[in-house]
Amino acid sequence: MKPLEKYNPAVIFLYFLLLASLAMFAANPVMIAISVLTMNAAAVAYSREGLARSYVFYAIIFVLTSLANPVFSHNGVTVLLVVNDNPITLEAVLYGVMTGFMILSVLLLFRVFSTLMTSDRLLYIFGRAFPKLGLLLAMTLRFVPLFGRQRRKIENTQRTLGLYKDENAIDTIKGKLSVLSAMTTWGLENGIVTADSMSARGYGIKRSRTSFSMFRFERSDLGLLLIVIASCTFIFFGIATDKLKTDFYPRMQLPPFSPYATVCYILYTGLAIFPLVAKVAETLRWKWISGKAYDDKIKR
Amino acid sequence: MELLRVENLNFAYSDGKQALENISFSLEEGEMLCVCGPTGSGKSTLLRLLKRELSPRGTKNGVIYLNGRKQDSLSEFEAATEVGFVMQRPDMQIVTDKVWHELAFGLENIGVKQDEIRRRVCEIAGYFGMESWFDRSTDSLSGGQKQLLNLASVMVMQPSLLILDEPVSQLDPIAASDLLATVKKLCREFGITVIAAEQRLEELIPASDKLLALKDGRIVTFGETRECVKALMSDEHFAVSMPASAKLYRKLMGVAFERKEALSSHKRSGSESGNPEIPLSVGEGRRFLKNMISEIKSHDSGLPEDKEGPGTSLKSLARNQMWVNLASKEEKSGTENVEGNDALKKGRPEKEKNDFALEFREVYLKYERAGRDILQALSFKVRKGEIFCMLGGNGAGKSTAVSAAAGLVKPYTGKIKVFGKNIGDYRGQELYRECVALLPQDVQTVFLTDDINGRHPYDLSGGEQQLAALDIVLATKPRLLLLDEPTKGLDAVLTAELVNRLRALAQEGVTIVIVSHDVEFAADVADRCALLFNGEVVSVSDSRDFFAGNYFYTTALSRITRGIVK
Amino acid sequence: MLVIRNRSLRRLLRVLIPFVAVPAAVLVGAYVFKDKVYAYISLIITILAIVLFISGFEKRETGSRRMVIVVVMTVLSVIGRFVPVIKPVATITVISGVYLGGEAGFLVGAMTAVISNFFWGQGPWTPFQMFSWGLIGLFSGLLAGRLKTSKILLYAYGALAGFLFSMIMDVWTVLWMEEGFSWEPYFAAITTALPMTLLYAVSNILFLISLFDPIGKKLERIKRVYGI
Repeated sequence: MKPLEKYNPAVIFLYFLLLASLAMFAANPVMIAISVLTMNAAAVAYSREGLARSYVFYAIIFVLTSLANPVFSHNGVTVLLVVNDNPITLEAVLYGVMTGFMILSVLLLFRVFSTLMTSDRLLYIFGRAFPKLGLLLAMTLRFVPLFGRQRRKIENTQRTLGLYKDENAIDTIKGKLSVLSAMTTWGLENGIVTADSMSARGYGIKRSRTSFSMFRFERSDLGLLLIVIASCTFIFFGIATDKLKTDFYPRMQLPPFSPYATVCYILYTGLAIFPLVAKVAETLRWKWISGKAYDDKIKR
Repeated sequence: MELLRVENLNFAYSDGKQALENISFSLEEGEMLCVCGPTGSGKSTLLRLLKRELSPRGTKNGVIYLNGRKQDSLSEFEAATEVGFVMQRPDMQIVTDKVWHELAFGLENIGVKQDEIRRRVCEIAGYFGMESWFDRSTDSLSGGQKQLLNLASVMVMQPSLLILDEPVSQLDPIAASDLLATVKKLCREFGITVIAAEQRLEELIPASDKLLALKDGRIVTFGETRECVKALMSDEHFAVSMPASAKLYRKLMGVAFERKEALSSHKRSGSESGNPEIPLSVGEGRRFLKNMISEIKSHDSGLPEDKEGPGTSLKSLARNQMWVNLASKEEKSGTENVEGNDALKKGRPEKEKNDFALEFREVYLKYERAGRDILQALSFKVRKGEIFCMLGGNGAGKSTAVSAAAGLVKPYTGKIKVFGKNIGDYRGQELYRECVALLPQDVQTVFLTDDINGRHPYDLSGGEQQLAALDIVLATKPRLLLLDEPTKGLDAVLTAELVNRLRALAQEGVTIVIVSHDVEFAADVADRCALLFNGEVVSVSDSRDFFAGNYFYTTALSRITRGIVK
Repeated sequence: MLVIRNRSLRRLLRVLIPFVAVPAAVLVGAYVFKDKVYAYISLIITILAIVLFISGFEKRETGSRRMVIVVVMTVLSVIGRFVPVIKPVATITVISGVYLGGEAGFLVGAMTAVISNFFWGQGPWTPFQMFSWGLIGLFSGLLAGRLKTSKILLYAYGALAGFLFSMIMDVWTVLWMEEGFSWEPYFAAITTALPMTLLYAVSNILFLISLFDPIGKKLERIKRVYGI
């Protein structure tokens, strides 16, 4: 098993897309539970930086989505309390909590997705489908840091030339706007060099443009792709034929545990835990290799 | 085989301005042509006309043949691939965000298949030694690497003609000579024909086979480099930008030179020194000088009083010790009044702290907590009214030092005093009110509005922008002027103008601190120089001693004369 | 295959189908079938709308200078998204639309969403943001003549752009949280977001006042000097 980021971006993209849609479609508490647990672990493994702060945000979203349902939906038979003649039901609360968890798992999933889908990977996918848009995006990505640096340079220079001299909010805003305006001129006027550099290298000649990428489609990519598609088809079929259906109204039922459903849960767990397993395997393998190297050294 | 032929090329811009008149020349395959001429002489226009996609708008007459075919008759594909074009600004020429993508960009445009692109991109990256930064984002590269990438991503299209429009003017000297060496290598190993225009000719001229000098859109001279240089030395406008060896040759051969070699060609068979070839590189210059000296010595002993010929003038030159002075005089044309200042300063007691306009005392600075120190125990003092120049390689901390002096970055320990007062004690904008001003490296950051004396700042040429920016900065009436690489992209004429302006300012009592790569400029303008290395001052002394003492960081002229004269 | 000969009709349809008919179908669908599936379908349809538009862009030729100008405007807008609290994203999108045409406006808006989300996080919200900002740019291009001549109309459009963005994003919020689209939570969402929406609207107007003419002038100059 190779690290997840070594797979072809299109495969990773499809994998996350299908995983997210399964979590959203199924409306099945078991699958959502699996999803939250695995995705949380994956988020810790892949993008721990700033995770603590994000949890606060996730908690707010979770509370809001959980509350929204019982406030607006009054289905269900178990009335907990009545507010302004509107019954708040246990079923609606439970459904709300499930929705909250579902959204939480999707947020976590896309957090991992964002870490793995770096700009060059996403560009590879965009570039394949839309070469021109892909080029625009690549150019933008190239210019963003350049402009950011230019903004700081202009601010520094202008500070010595008396910008922001009054040191109040209005002056600061005025100053920032002047800097933005100066940056616009700078970018537009110098952009001509970029445009010339493009034309000089044959941009715009009447031949169909190709889109090159360093990513390859390997045998292991095909393997992962087939596994993902097969398992997802199996689970989707279950959803479409109500084999995974869990009713909340009028009364909440337990999620189904038929053989088919159980297989679905197992498959889904396998899929969702894949990023974590890949990461752990990679770490262990490194430990083992470096440990072995260390042992070899000792022996000598 | 003839690769390029230009016949009677005339060009006028759409606003009616005549840019080129009667340009005719031709180049053989594998030759390297250096195009020189003052700013506005039509260099860029000519170069751009040779690349069809970049031809400016206007009326063109005359024919350009590439590989024996008219330029107009080339297909889009041929026009794009046959001629490669690299421009001035390394940053703005890069189109995409990754190095490998940038290399592939041109091939994508002409519709090359995936596998073929992969092969060619990897091959070129290997040739240019780019493996270690192949996967990096283009933004993280140094200026030299960026320009090398621009060159490589043009070369990947396999052009037969490579046009370089001031490719190294924005680079530091080391990156610049690396790039030129790479170009020369391409020329030699692949038979690529190269046309390069540049302001600084010290290194380009010795590397090129042919030279084409332009002035006011007309060809002044075209031919073998050495002959052209010789011819150009009699034209003041061109002479200033020629290599130091050539200038030395002219000074030493003075009398003979004025006589247009008529005389010396007579004597060619007789004496070896009769007509030595004009030296172009530092190495040739040293050889020339050594030969000259031994020649004179033999003259002195063997032929006491020869009447006519260059030997006589040389001898008298030697007797007057003119060239001994020459070397130092070249370095310091404003010697007299500077020395006067020095004497004045030495007379005063150094204790008086008001004497110093800028003082760094054990300044340590870094940008990130975990990062390395950019400035380490940096200490130096700048006297009021002097021109102080800091030299040093890339990453020596030069720019950081001026930024710190301008209060834009703060050291984590150490003291910076401006006119005797701690920089931190200046409140708010006080520091910038008729006190300190900074001309940054990127002068375009100075322009906040779109109107400078009725003209759009970006309609000005690079040199004009530089001087306009200096005006804006001077409008704050600074007493301490900081300049970061002020000669970047200036030609010899404009550099001379800048030197004059700075001298005049110093006369008025403005203290000037310059950081620069440009050794020749520093030698010309500075009273004192300091060498920065790894964030600290390694040596500081009066300019003359400074350049006489340095081995690498010194002017081309003192590299020629080192160990031979004095 | 159906070929529409009338050019302006063709152009109108190209705009109407992805940006009026398709969203309407989503809303009607979500209203009629109260089921969560429609949240997902709305996402797919949004993506399809964007794809349709981009395909049009892919077919045409765009000169290198025009490409660069669109990129420069996008970069400014992306950097604008990092300004705390008030963000000039919509304003720069509107300016691009007015001076460079609807297509450029759409691209600037849509690409700002994609690129800035590399920092803010990608997710199913990305297509919706692309769609909303793109739409703001597209319509400003279609109304360019009017917006250039009448400042009042321009500021009104700026304010509307602020509301429009919130309203589209709220539809999406409701579709996700509820089992389908219903007005009650939608109004609740709009009301909760009202302070932010007002802030967007007001800041859009302020940004338009201070940036529209200066940046417009720069764009006009570039178009003149570089012959676009």
